Amino acid sequence: MELLANLQLGFEIALTLQNILYCLVGVFLGTLIGVLPGIGPVATIAMLLPATFTLPPVSALIMLAGIYYGAQYGGSTTAILVNLPGEASSVVTCLDGYAMARQGRAGPALAIAALGSFFAGTVSTLILAMFAPPLAEIAFKFGPAEYFSLMVLGLIAAIVLAHGSLINAIAMILLGLLLGLVGADTNTGQFRFTFGLPQLTDGIGFVVVAMGLFGFSEIIANLERRAKREVVMAKITSLFPTRDDLKASWKAVLRGTGIGALLGILPGGGATLGSFAAYALEKKVAKDPTRFGKGAIEGVAGPESANNAGAQTSFIPLLTLGIPTNAVMALMIGAMTIHGITPGPQVMTERPELFWGMIASMWIGNLLLVVLNLPLIGIWVKLLSVPYRILYPAILLFSCIGVYSLNNSAVDVALALAFGFLGYLFIKFDCEPAPLLLGFVLGPMMEENLRRALLLSRGDPTVFVTRPLSLALLVAAAALLVIVVVPAVRRKRAEAFQE
Amino acid sequence: MAEFFRDLAGPSRRTWLHALIFVFGACAASATLPQDYPSRPIRIIVPFPGGGTADLLARQIAQTMSEALRQQVLIENRTGAGGNIGADLAAKSKPDGYTLLMGTVSTHAINPNLYAKMPYDPVKDFAPVTMVARMPNLLVVHPSVPAKNVAELIALAKARPGALAFASAGNGTTQHLAGELFKKMAGVDMIHVPYKGNAPAVTDLVGGQVQVMFDNIPVSLQQVRAGKLRALAVTGPVRSPVLQDLPTVAEAGLPGYSITSWFGLYAPSGTSPQIIARLKKVHSGDIIIAHLNKPASDTGRGMAQGLQALVDQGFSFVRLDASDVRPPQKRI
Amino acid sequence: MSISIRSPRDFCAGLIFLFFGALAAYIARDYPMGSAVRMGPGYFPYLLGILLALLGVVICIKSLVAHGERIESASLRALLLVLGAIGVFAGTIESAGIVIATALLVGIGAAASPESRLREVVVLIVFMLALAVGLFTYGLGLPFKIFPI
Repeated sequence: MELLANLQLGFEIALTLQNILYCLVGVFLGTLIGVLPGIGPVATIAMLLPATFTLPPVSALIMLAGIYYGAQYGGSTTAILVNLPGEASSVVTCLDGYAMARQGRAGPALAIAALGSFFAGTVSTLILAMFAPPLAEIAFKFGPAEYFSLMVLGLIAAIVLAHGSLINAIAMILLGLLLGLVGADTNTGQFRFTFGLPQLTDGIGFVVVAMGLFGFSEIIANLERRAKREVVMAKITSLFPTRDDLKASWKAVLRGTGIGALLGILPGGGATLGSFAAYALEKKVAKDPTRFGKGAIEGVAGPESANNAGAQTSFIPLLTLGIPTNAVMALMIGAMTIHGITPGPQVMTERPELFWGMIASMWIGNLLLVVLNLPLIGIWVKLLSVPYRILYPAILLFSCIGVYSLNNSAVDVALALAFGFLGYLFIKFDCEPAPLLLGFVLGPMMEENLRRALLLSRGDPTVFVTRPLSLALLVAAAALLVIVVVPAVRRKRAEAFQE
Repeated sequence: MAEFFRDLAGPSRRTWLHALIFVFGACAASATLPQDYPSRPIRIIVPFPGGGTADLLARQIAQTMSEALRQQVLIENRTGAGGNIGADLAAKSKPDGYTLLMGTVSTHAINPNLYAKMPYDPVKDFAPVTMVARMPNLLVVHPSVPAKNVAELIALAKARPGALAFASAGNGTTQHLAGELFKKMAGVDMIHVPYKGNAPAVTDLVGGQVQVMFDNIPVSLQQVRAGKLRALAVTGPVRSPVLQDLPTVAEAGLPGYSITSWFGLYAPSGTSPQIIARLKKVHSGDIIIAHLNKPASDTGRGMAQGLQALVDQGFSFVRLDASDVRPPQKRI
Repeated sequence: MSISIRSPRDFCAGLIFLFFGALAAYIARDYPMGSAVRMGPGYFPYLLGILLALLGVVICIKSLVAHGERIESASLRALLLVLGAIGVFAGTIESAGIVIATALLVGIGAAASPESRLREVVVLIVFMLALAVGLFTYGLGLPFKIFPI
């Protein structure tokens, strides 16, 4: 079978000592970068580009790719340990992962994250190998109308994310949508809500919002709890997941992998959307959804698998078409160009050793990451036992440096500060930040695609229901809305009857 | 006062004299001595994200410069506001030759006409060092469009006004302006569909959601070679050395049409002319052509002709392009 | 007529939503609106702002009727010093360099906790400075000014 022959070629290349070494360096650096809040793979890869000039192209790309998906692993670590999402896609992991850590179960959370990610990575690498070209074609079926309908579906799913009051969650989503609209409007170039600040013309950075809303506010809240002698962190019980944990997680891992792999293909979707969707799905299918937000391990297993699966499949448009789906891919295209490889549809056929070598090395990278990360769990957990009064200033420093390093802008740090304050207020007033973040991510895409779809259809609004894929997504969204709202309404009526 | 100096008898006075000479000497030295330049790493500010054309060009320049100047040349990406943030940072840096800017047609020609308020003046705040590269755009259409050349495209657009849509990487990009200029000169009506960046625009073009694009060459070229897009013409004043068979838009139906993306190295105004001359020498035609033509010749960066001439015209070149690019839309 | 706020948390949340919604709608009013099928840049934000403000009002009204928990007491020290530390960092990182910014951030931040001890904080500052300069500035190549010059 051709696939086996190709994979053999790939592994021959990936398993040279040199390439294994570069893979190791890449994933190690990536993990480190991912752990450091704010500092992302983009800055690191940009910095390492000159160093890769002297390397053979395959080795350079293997290393750079390793940094990318290594960062996904690392981002989960801080999300679980200190409620700081190291990467955008780790935000959802904060929800239940951090709750688990506070219950003394940081070890199992980290372990499940690593194992789930490894499974997801293996499966999606296989998917990459087998279905890359046809999957790339799917990306083309998604026009503006389909994207809009997908976003609508996503926003309804955001309501699922909420634990408490439904109406509060909707308001948070709306607020997130509004915050996402800050910046230059893509369709007209009009600056919206920028208050004359050039740093806002490209919008508020996701990391800025997440850092403030999750990280900074949590530090303040923790200090308050300690002042009241409340327990912040329970004692560490064990490092490994129990059998019950594994039983509960494996289905979540499967589902997460599927969702993440699919959503990762879409340009602009990627790992972030996948992790949010996986979380919402887990919550919906769980027998007892009230566990979520309080340390449900499926809430870690699903999203973590999803974001790693997405990280792998987001290479598909790059490798098959030469089109980058995010900033990291754009850098990799740059790296390829510098090495004399012109990225495009022919790379697969003209330079098969590059294509298959990279795919094989992705799997190896995932293996290395699990091998690296599992023992590290012990170290991370030890770190948690450092007295909080010494730990939190360090967290503050890393966060501030991380936010600053995004754009070398002190304005970003000031914005994160503002969001920190807002996040603190939200904690005090029982408002959940997760729906806000999802609205923040989806909102601008939704509006952009809505207007673009109407522009292309010359003002005809029926385009959303006449195009089959878009119609299907909207129907799914309506169905989801019913599934979400009806139980809530029924509950309210039951309460009303009881009174 | 006199007591003070009386106390400085003998060796002390000489020490003071030595100190004074030292201080004056140091002052003179810190006023940049071009002979010592560069004595520490130079940074080139790139106002666009890593991996993009400006960034890649800057990195290649940095390599050749490092070798020639025997000093490290670092790249600093400072993105935002269409390039304005990075350009502004460079404009306001110390003109000591250690901060340079990879300026583009956006930062020095388009933005000043697009934004009502600019944080810098593209002519007054900068001293041009050298042109780095010029690149025309590529007029591509989706294979489903029944036009095999520019004339047929114009005829098609005229027959069905508003039926064709052209994509761009955003408002105010060269792709947008190339399209608007085309519409104006050909007298046709096409819908402009802006995207956030090149990649989603090309994706929708290949997917057939839009029909036309005046894209940067590198990405589209690969799609054309793979048969996913059809190339009609290049937008520059002369044919591209990479696509010799393709006519220019001017040749094919719109005489006088010319849109080029260009990239130039700038220093903040006030930088000593000796330093600028030194940098220009580093970029003297042969070294740069040899390097840039190695992997880059395949991506359409035809730099060979006119480099030396452009170097001396750097300043007037800015003025030329600022009025050359006709922005049809209102200022923001 | 005395109106008692039965749920202070919801009331305050509602106020926040009302504030942001009204602000957004107010600003968005000045952007070109367009029509429903040819939306201008102001259409969507204006709509969202109005909706959000309305929801805020609804939540406020709800808080007058439905019972909810009281707002937990705040520690002003933690709030002001943590936020203050971040603010000082933002203000000094570009002008005074990473060394001063780090020292101030860690110092002021540590002061936010009554459990902090001076000797530990000093050691922590030194350690953090080493990390900031060693790992971030030299190791990762982040473009920080080290000292105020």
